[in-house]
Amino acid sequence: MSQNSSTEPKAAPVLIQMGIFAAILFVSSLISPLFPANFPVPTPVIGLILLYGLLAFKIIKLEWVEKFADFMIGLIAFLFVPSGIALTASLDVMKDQGIQLIIVIILSTIILLVVVSFVTAGMMWVVKNVFHQNTDISE
Amino acid sequence: MQAEIIKFLGTPIFGIFLSIAVFLIGKWLFKISNGFFLFQPLFVGMVLGILILVLMAKMLGVGTTWFYTNAYLPGGSLIIWFLQPATIAFAIPLYRRNDIVKRFWPVIILSLIIGLFLSEFAIYGVSKLFGLDNAGIASMLPQAATTAVAMPIAGAIKGIPAVTAMACIVNAVIIYALADWLIKLFHLTDPIGAGLGLGTAGHTVGSAKALQLGSIQGSMASIATVIISIVADIVVPLFAKLVGLI
Repeated sequence: MSQNSSTEPKAAPVLIQMGIFAAILFVSSLISPLFPANFPVPTPVIGLILLYGLLAFKIIKLEWVEKFADFMIGLIAFLFVPSGIALTASLDVMKDQGIQLIIVIILSTIILLVVVSFVTAGMMWVVKNVFHQNTDISE
Repeated sequence: MQAEIIKFLGTPIFGIFLSIAVFLIGKWLFKISNGFFLFQPLFVGMVLGILILVLMAKMLGVGTTWFYTNAYLPGGSLIIWFLQPATIAFAIPLYRRNDIVKRFWPVIILSLIIGLFLSEFAIYGVSKLFGLDNAGIASMLPQAATTAVAMPIAGAIKGIPAVTAMACIVNAVIIYALADWLIKLFHLTDPIGAGLGLGTAGHTVGSAKALQLGSIQGSMASIATVIISIVADIVVPLFAKLVGLI
């Protein structure tokens, strides 16, 4: 994607890539408890921001982390299976209002997707037609 | 009986094996059905896994929740842990389209704040329509945030954290199964909008889905999962106060 095919940078060994991930998660897990209980910021969210910051400030290079990152992202659907199976433990909670809850959650999912998408598209329209800025983007 | 179950099934390998097996069955069904949407590997894996656990608990004569906690969870929680490095991995697709982030970050942040606030009204309305009680409504409001953020918010606005966690999981399963169809149905053609929407509604699974649509969608979904959680920390309790839940 971002590599130039002529001089493709060499990827770091996978253990180094995992080491970088582990280091970032460790630091994030130390930062996360510093946030107050009514403003939780979990470890992975801090880790994502840290890793993005390290890349954006060119402290670590893309080829040091991208192979392991792509591997983990490719696994995400599988990694989510146990969370889905965890619903076994909430079967009791669902007894009272189960069907209504599921319908409301499905509708809420669609609401979030559609409303956020439309609001963004509207904002882009405003940027283009009110502030007259270029909004063309290349794929 | 319980001691035997713990002896034979209490090691992590049962949970790991079951998770891999049901997911692979899902992949196989998806393939031979030519991609029928109900046979998405994640959805099949989840339903099959729950069914197997419920049946096994019945056959062995123990409670389902007890069986889940003592037989499945040792392995399941190991896999769940790997969601952490998988989540921070989304910094890479985000950084790959840093050009878009740099140009449009005010639009991104404002859209997520306004989008979430408007969504809260709609979710509140739908919850009322289907007759949820106040605890049920409060459990529905924080679901845009990632599970670890959504659960404490639910507790703070007098919802039930377990129900909110369930909502976050179902969000991801629904988006994984229906995203392509929903995007066509609602003509979500703006790549930035579609990406932010997928990240908000489907969390990290939504981001993986968005990456399949394009690098901009993937990048925007990744940033949405981060910013929406922080926005939800602020907006959801405010909204709950506004409608008198707390």
